[in-house]
Amino acid sequence: GVLAHLEMLEARAHEAAVKQEETEQQEEKLARLKARVQELRLQRDELRAKVDLQQKRQLGQEGVVSDPEQPSAQAVLEWKIKSVKDMLQIFYLTGISGKLTKHGVCFCISTAYEGTYLDSYYLDLLTKPEVQIHRHSVPIFIPLEQIAKKYLQTDIRRFFSVLSDHLNAYAGRRYQADQLQEHFSDQIEGTLQRNSLCNLLVFNYNTSGKSKTFPFNARLLYGDLCCSLPTEVFVSWRLDAPASLAETAAAHSDLFRRMALHKAFRTFSSAERLVD
Amino acid sequence: MDETVAEYIRRTVLKIPRNEIKTMLQKWGFLSEAQLQTINFGQIKENISQDVVQLCEENSADIKQAAVLDIIYSHIYPDKRVWHVYQMNKTGEETAFFDLMDFKKKFKRRLRSALKNVTINFREYEDNAIWIRIAWGTPYTKPNQYKTSYVVYHSQTPYVFISASVLKSNLPLLCQALVVAANYHDIREMELRGHSLNSLKDIVFKRYSQLTKLSVFFFFFSSLLFSPASDLRIVQENKNEKERIQSVNREVFGDGPQPKLEFAQYKLETMFRSDPKMDVLDKREPFRCLVKFSSPHLLESLKSLAPAGMADAPLSPLLTCIPQKARNYFKIREKKAFFPGSFVSP
Repeated sequence: GVLAHLEMLEARAHEAAVKQEETEQQEEKLARLKARVQELRLQRDELRAKVDLQQKRQLGQEGVVSDPEQPSAQAVLEWKIKSVKDMLQIFYLTGISGKLTKHGVCFCISTAYEGTYLDSYYLDLLTKPEVQIHRHSVPIFIPLEQIAKKYLQTDIRRFFSVLSDHLNAYAGRRYQADQLQEHFSDQIEGTLQRNSLCNLLVFNYNTSGKSKTFPFNARLLYGDLCCSLPTEVFVSWRLDAPASLAETAAAHSDLFRRMALHKAFRTFSSAERLVD
Repeated sequence: MDETVAEYIRRTVLKIPRNEIKTMLQKWGFLSEAQLQTINFGQIKENISQDVVQLCEENSADIKQAAVLDIIYSHIYPDKRVWHVYQMNKTGEETAFFDLMDFKKKFKRRLRSALKNVTINFREYEDNAIWIRIAWGTPYTKPNQYKTSYVVYHSQTPYVFISASVLKSNLPLLCQALVVAANYHDIREMELRGHSLNSLKDIVFKRYSQLTKLSVFFFFFSSLLFSPASDLRIVQENKNEKERIQSVNREVFGDGPQPKLEFAQYKLETMFRSDPKMDVLDKREPFRCLVKFSSPHLLESLKSLAPAGMADAPLSPLLTCIPQKARNYFKIREKKAFFPGSFVSP
């Protein structure tokens, strides 16, 4: 009858409730176990990093670890970056460095001018069947092909020496021009006239930033591409300027021949300031 | 101020995207900062351009100054033009003392001696790029400012980038003027064309060579770098093949971004090779065919073909030689030798 039916429904509801509780308990257990797995994985990674570090220390290498008890993955990464930077520093100091590759050698030529590090240039050489340049990052206006034709096959040391001279000189000339433009822009009329190799510079200038006129004209020719000082210097002055400038022009010309362009400017500019 | 100059300035300003107009006018420097303040750059471009023309009227602008605004626009949006690459040749290794003033003087003199009605403007940029704008006229008409050629030249390099877009008859004159001004002997057009000026420069100046500081840094010290832990539960199918493809791709294309080219064209004049029994062509004549590959970024898409599984690695050298050979127009003929094949003509 109706009551029996009701009893049956009640029993079914009870069963369903029990089942639901069971599933919920299962899910909770699963979640807890998953969290535990994460924890253990994290611990495993940390221990791995620790072991790694220990091994490296045993090989006698320097390690920078802030907390020897708990070297995190972060600390290990930082240590690796530092040792890489240190090695790069060593390479910079020597100027030319190389590494063997699958098919040859890759060279890096670092440039510098009077203590300031400038750009680096790379050459990827193939050694078989003969030495040839595979890829490089040397600017197109540096006569790389000519230098290679002369020395690459016969005297590779000379090749790198000559190329390094060209690149260092170019970097030095460009650096001087940039420094002049940057620090003495008020003493130069407009912008410096230059070219890709920075081997011809022409500009009108004065000796004090306060002056509005530019009585001097300088024309510097760098005939030797391996040299960062000019081979010819012409300093002229405007026709309507006082004759006393002739002597100053000669003095400037001498300075430009002997020292870095921006240093020469510093020399006669500061003298001018003293007079003021 | 000349009517034509006013109209030219008006049309040039209209080309500029609205939010760039103020910066470009500042770069131009013809209108003072005070004058620029009086313009409402929020209004519609039609009105902005009218205001600009009005101020230029006050300053009595001439065509030379208007041309400078056009150069500035073209320098910021060079990819709107198609650039052709030319190569100059000279014999002898004398150290080139490239004198900019001398170059400009010689160029103008050469051009003007042949054609009186030309507008010539120069503008130099920090990367040693010299931009030349030439508006061509005829012996009887004034220069047409809307039909301009642009030349981009980096001193002490043999390459010139020309966007002619005009009467082909003026091109030889332009080339001659360049050769004379730059102290070279002759000039020829290379089979290299594209919209992206910087990419064309990258290709001929070999600046794409992937030997950037960063890539060499990683190359020298890759063994020391931190490698991410991989989950051992994931198994890579065809792992060896995938790695081979990656390795071959890296050999051919390198790690860096590829120069941007929009097309590569191959003119085939080769014999049709078929089963002799099929006898498709009874005449032994070369089969003429033109194959053109187009893409917003051709080299990147070629680079992704093998990893995407759409082509076998390594790709045909006809496709991969494009940056090294500095060309994207090819003529392929039959090799006249004892083994069949085809060769790419110079």
